[in-house]
Amino acid sequence: MIAILFLLARRLLTALPILLTVSILMFVALRLLPVDPAAMSMPPNATNEDIAAKRREMGLDKPLTTQYAIWLRGALHGDFGRSIQLRRDAGHLVTAALPATIQLALCAMVIASVLGLGGGLLLFHLRGGASEALGDLGTTVLLSVPEFLWALLFILLFGVLLPVLPFIGQLGPQFSVVRVTGFLLIDTLLAGQGSAFASALAHLTLPAAALGIAFSPAIMRVLRSGLLDVYHEDYIRQARLRGIGEGRILIVHALPNAILPTLTLMGVQFGFLFGGTLLVEVLYSYPGLGNLMVDAVRNADLPLIQTVGLTYCIVVLLIGMTVDALVLVLNPRLRAR
Amino acid sequence: MTPAASRRGFLAMTAATLAAPSLVRAADDAVTIAWPSDVPGWDPNQRFTPDAQSLFKAVFDQPLDQAPDLKLVPHLVTRWELSADGLSMPIDLRDDVVFHNGERMTADDFRFTFFERIKSTPGLDIANSWRKVQDIEVLSPTKAVMRFSSPAPTAPVWLAFLGSYLVPKGYVEQVGAQAFAQKPIGTGPYRLVEWEVNGRIVLERNDKYWGPRPAIRRVTVQIIKDPSARVAAVQSGQVDIAINLPVREAVRLQGEPKLAAELDPITRIILLQVRNDLGFEDANVRLAAHHAIDKAALSRAFYNNAAVPLSQLATPGTPGYMDDFSVRFDPELAKQLLAKSGFGPDKPVKIGFATTNGQFPSDYDLARAIAQMWKRVGIEADIQVIEYPKYFELNRGHKLPEATLYSFDNATGDPEIFVGYMLNPKLPFSPWQDMTIGQKVIDLFNVADTAKRYAGWQAIDREAMEIGAKIPLLQSVLTLARQKNLAVTKYANGWVLPQTMRWT
Repeated sequence: MIAILFLLARRLLTALPILLTVSILMFVALRLLPVDPAAMSMPPNATNEDIAAKRREMGLDKPLTTQYAIWLRGALHGDFGRSIQLRRDAGHLVTAALPATIQLALCAMVIASVLGLGGGLLLFHLRGGASEALGDLGTTVLLSVPEFLWALLFILLFGVLLPVLPFIGQLGPQFSVVRVTGFLLIDTLLAGQGSAFASALAHLTLPAAALGIAFSPAIMRVLRSGLLDVYHEDYIRQARLRGIGEGRILIVHALPNAILPTLTLMGVQFGFLFGGTLLVEVLYSYPGLGNLMVDAVRNADLPLIQTVGLTYCIVVLLIGMTVDALVLVLNPRLRAR
Repeated sequence: MTPAASRRGFLAMTAATLAAPSLVRAADDAVTIAWPSDVPGWDPNQRFTPDAQSLFKAVFDQPLDQAPDLKLVPHLVTRWELSADGLSMPIDLRDDVVFHNGERMTADDFRFTFFERIKSTPGLDIANSWRKVQDIEVLSPTKAVMRFSSPAPTAPVWLAFLGSYLVPKGYVEQVGAQAFAQKPIGTGPYRLVEWEVNGRIVLERNDKYWGPRPAIRRVTVQIIKDPSARVAAVQSGQVDIAINLPVREAVRLQGEPKLAAELDPITRIILLQVRNDLGFEDANVRLAAHHAIDKAALSRAFYNNAAVPLSQLATPGTPGYMDDFSVRFDPELAKQLLAKSGFGPDKPVKIGFATTNGQFPSDYDLARAIAQMWKRVGIEADIQVIEYPKYFELNRGHKLPEATLYSFDNATGDPEIFVGYMLNPKLPFSPWQDMTIGQKVIDLFNVADTAKRYAGWQAIDREAMEIGAKIPLLQSVLTLARQKNLAVTKYANGWVLPQTMRWT
């Protein structure tokens, strides 16, 4: 426990300078864009004097370092500025959209894990046989199709040709759910609305599957190679000599050791998967962080881009910390160090 | 545990919903609409966004309304009369209108919306359209007089235009502008019951509405930004009506047995904004650029012939439209004009040409086709893609190139808002800064007599075309696909109003 707490504390300490650096880089990069946030926040028929006044009000007439200091002070107090397009607090917009994306990414990760672990075990099972090449070909095909293409294929197949699953938004039009946590699946259950829960789950299926399937082949391959490595270890041979069945050797002895690199990879993958929600959310009209970011970029909404970008960074760092802690829990050798 | 939450019931419903959720239609008095963009917020006075007007009109009322043919009709205001000098306008308000919270709408709310709020709340777009309001004198709960600092001939038109929605003084003052933009209260035919940014908007019928009772009880507006996803949604039956579809897809959907798809010309003009300097300083070059464009071919190629070719800054059927005026497609004339200025296919004049990509249907393709047509006569255009929000910023800094592909929306059809706004050098819409026409435009903004100003705008429009101050291309089209048994009233300005929908 102490080791885990120590690790978390260390990771938190290193996360702070990372966050600071990312925020500076983003701030400078966005300010270098040929965009005038003051002009863009005014109506088309505003005069040049109106815009100059707005520029002063937004602090854009001050040096870049002062501007950053103002932003940082605000951010530390929870004020990330106002969205130019929506004229609302950027922090509130992000907080409202974040649960939907987390929910989508988690469901996608579950699908990626099930497919990845199941596929990895299957590939391992097929090793040395005639079907091994077929398995390899399958993972190569899965690897070469990006998530947005899966998203389009699923819409076409399960949404239009065989209209069995919804692909628009996150809830059927006949339902309204009181938001408590922001996580629709949880909120529908809290409200005791079984049908709404089923509807939310159905709406989540295709986007989560599109994301999950795209990230599953890497997990399959790492798990298979992990198992292949472990099977060369002495303790596996000794287990066989002791007469332990192959199934038990695989599940009880080999898998817990082979899964550690897979778990680390899944952590890294989850970061990518979170970023991958961007296009999938747009295609499925899913009201999450990705959709918000695409809109912000399209409208050159600098405060919102900065806030969403920083949120992505925080989420990826948190995922990294969680995975490290999990690996530490599962691997006693690391704890001993 | 409720029956709905019991395990067996829950599993049965899960299976049913997972198996065929798209087959579950809410009810016969419900409609799901696929809309291309979200509202910027629910304060209807705050931002001018043409695409959001149909949604605002469901929740809020305007003092005046427009009939499907764009004629101004009474709404909250039952009588209005602009004085001969255009400096004042007495109005009568209905006495049977209540806001969604039950409060009665009175002339105090009218004064608050169009005067007090504009002066006290910074950043409202509506303030720019009602700058001339000097005061609004409240005579009784149903009578008021608008007073203007200079003639305001289009004041009645603006009472039915962008941002002019009546908001409740008491409620806004009580909760503040921020809270109002989240939980708005209007007098419109629907109440807002749910708004998920970038997700969906749910409206429920206002059963105490003073006007005709909408046939649809519950309206779900699903924000679907991707045009292909809107097509798929209406085709699969997940939504009942979808707007702004790619033209080719709309044409294809016309063959679907359960759907009705339409391409309707609206009061939106696709044009080339031009500068009066740089490579376009010479009128011969500008006129050659106009004569070289085969607008009928553009309509045929990109809009299935539904977009009407235009030679003026007005759409057919609006007061400024001139039946007897056109600029013909004549590439030979274009070559002659260019030759007069020393240019030709072998020695082309070089210009910059800005366009958006995806702001309106086929915009980028349109720009490429125009550049090809120009190349044949001796104009070499360097196409630059710009984001629409940057247009005004670039124009303010005089950084737009010689020509820019642009789409101008005018739901009112009034010629001042077409010709005047697009040619007024003091307004931010046009890169044309020459004061020869500019001064005439500015002067005409102060003429109150309707017949005189209509004639004046037509004369200016004609003059602008003769010197190549603008290059109108096409009348834009609204593409829409709906379930065949869903009827919706067609408006010449492209409004798609939930309150006019009904199942047949």
